[in-house]
Amino acid sequence: MKKLVRNPILIFFSLFQPVIFLVLFTQLFSKFGQLLGPGVSYTVFATAGIVLQNAFSSAFQSGTAVVDDIKSGFLTKMLATPVNRSAILFGRILSDAFRVVAQTVIILALAYPLGVFPETGFLGYLLIIFTVAFFGLAWSGISLALGLRTKSAETVFGIAGFLTFPLLFMSTALVGQTAMPAWMQTVSSYNPISFAVNAIRNLITGCTPDLSNCAIGYDWSTILQAYGVIALIGALTLGATLYLFRKVVS
Amino acid sequence: MPGIIDVSQLVKTYGDGTKAVKGISFNVSEGEFFGFLGPNGAGKSTTIKILTTILRKSSGSASVAGFDVESDSAKIRKIIGVQNQDTVVDEDLTGRENMILQGEMQQMHGQALKDRVDELLKIVDLVDAADKRAGFYSGGMKKRLDLATTLVHDPKILFLDEPTTGLDPQSRAAIWAYLKQLNEQGITIFITTQYLEEVDRLCRRLAIVDLGEIVAQGTPAELKQEIGADSISLGLESTTMNGETKEKAKQVLENKFDRVSNIVNSDIGLTVYAKNGSFLVPEIVRAFDDAGIKLSSIAVSSPTLDDVFLKHTGKRIRVEEVTSANYRGMFARRRR
Repeated sequence: MKKLVRNPILIFFSLFQPVIFLVLFTQLFSKFGQLLGPGVSYTVFATAGIVLQNAFSSAFQSGTAVVDDIKSGFLTKMLATPVNRSAILFGRILSDAFRVVAQTVIILALAYPLGVFPETGFLGYLLIIFTVAFFGLAWSGISLALGLRTKSAETVFGIAGFLTFPLLFMSTALVGQTAMPAWMQTVSSYNPISFAVNAIRNLITGCTPDLSNCAIGYDWSTILQAYGVIALIGALTLGATLYLFRKVVS
Repeated sequence: MPGIIDVSQLVKTYGDGTKAVKGISFNVSEGEFFGFLGPNGAGKSTTIKILTTILRKSSGSASVAGFDVESDSAKIRKIIGVQNQDTVVDEDLTGRENMILQGEMQQMHGQALKDRVDELLKIVDLVDAADKRAGFYSGGMKKRLDLATTLVHDPKILFLDEPTTGLDPQSRAAIWAYLKQLNEQGITIFITTQYLEEVDRLCRRLAIVDLGEIVAQGTPAELKQEIGADSISLGLESTTMNGETKEKAKQVLENKFDRVSNIVNSDIGLTVYAKNGSFLVPEIVRAFDDAGIKLSSIAVSSPTLDDVFLKHTGKRIRVEEVTSANYRGMFARRRR
């Protein structure tokens, strides 16, 4: 945590992309709102996607950090101390989750003057942050596993770049399904990012995912579905991470 | 008496089939300054990693302070200090914070930890820089900080893998001076290094490993004695130095001195190997005088650890000033 505060440049640059998305994309695509439904603000619509996109790219930093720990000898140094083996891994994961939470708070704060306030109120804010942190945890598992397996930051970055855009654009993060070609609609329905985005969007707009009903408030079926998907991914990725970590430390 | 480090028939075979350590045995007594030398790839770091419980052995046995490296690894970790080949300091933290962090990893807290950190900062001369970020430290300061972090919990045994490689002579001397001081306070030191003069001066005993096996062990004096011969370097006067004089000189030496074990040509004349070389000097001078061979210089040197190393491994130890270790250190800033 101390490290994060000490390195404001890193925070700044890791926030740079989502802020650009928030300010520029929402302006650029502001007409999209009309496409999605009468009276829909694209900024409000896209905030959910942007928050998640940030968590997504932030999660990939975990993998490069663990590679750094291995390469610099820091991991070896820790392993020669009485520190609990699993604490080393969980410390890393928790600090990553903390970073995602901090970034999410900043993005939501910036979005507020742009007219984004969750219909579900303050509890909604908390649930959004919780959802994003949970999502970040699950995805950081992928990058951690990749980092532990390949021990190369370049590979983690490469795979992250390769995954980010297709997964993001073929989800409901930035565009509603109604605006997509049919094949992409199918892809986005199965895209795990869509599930998480839909849950967060519901918390912000109080609408159902297709925006047909905006008086529903908490759409628990969407939210719980998202948690189910995230939990499944988390179990897989963190399980793989734990397995690979054991291999590295023994 | 069992040693504080006991290693018997230790074997490590890596997953890819590489046999890094092929059944080595040695022991280190409490309070000893023990040098573990060998060319690159000899198995030194592997051995240190097994002894410091970071790596699992394949077979054989190894214990530290009477604790088995595998079944009692938790107890070992509390009483050892380990410095890796790479300097590991967190560059975003200050020197003091680095030490506090390491102390916390050693499960120390509060005032006791603070006092200990202050004390160590004094010992390694980092008081003035203690609250600056380690990223601004010089290479020598980082290494000193790294060494200090390994001492926070007052370890009984210190494992050091190349602690001075890549440092300037002054920083190197400083580190060796601290190590000497620590050893005098009773800490057992197990060290790998490429600086043989320092080993000669400070290590009470040493082992030389090559290709995963111990090829020699003993005190520096014993090992040098084994070489058996001093070298006498004879400079012949340049006006008379031609093939003929050299031949003549060689014949004189071969005929008159049966203690001479070997004669080789050198740039300035000849180098002669003989037991107790210094006693031969007056006789050589007299014999050459009689034969009318003019000497310009004569110098005797006793065998060095370098000669010992050469004899056992067939390699000269080479100190690379810019190693990959500190090269990486320059570019790999850790991010979190």
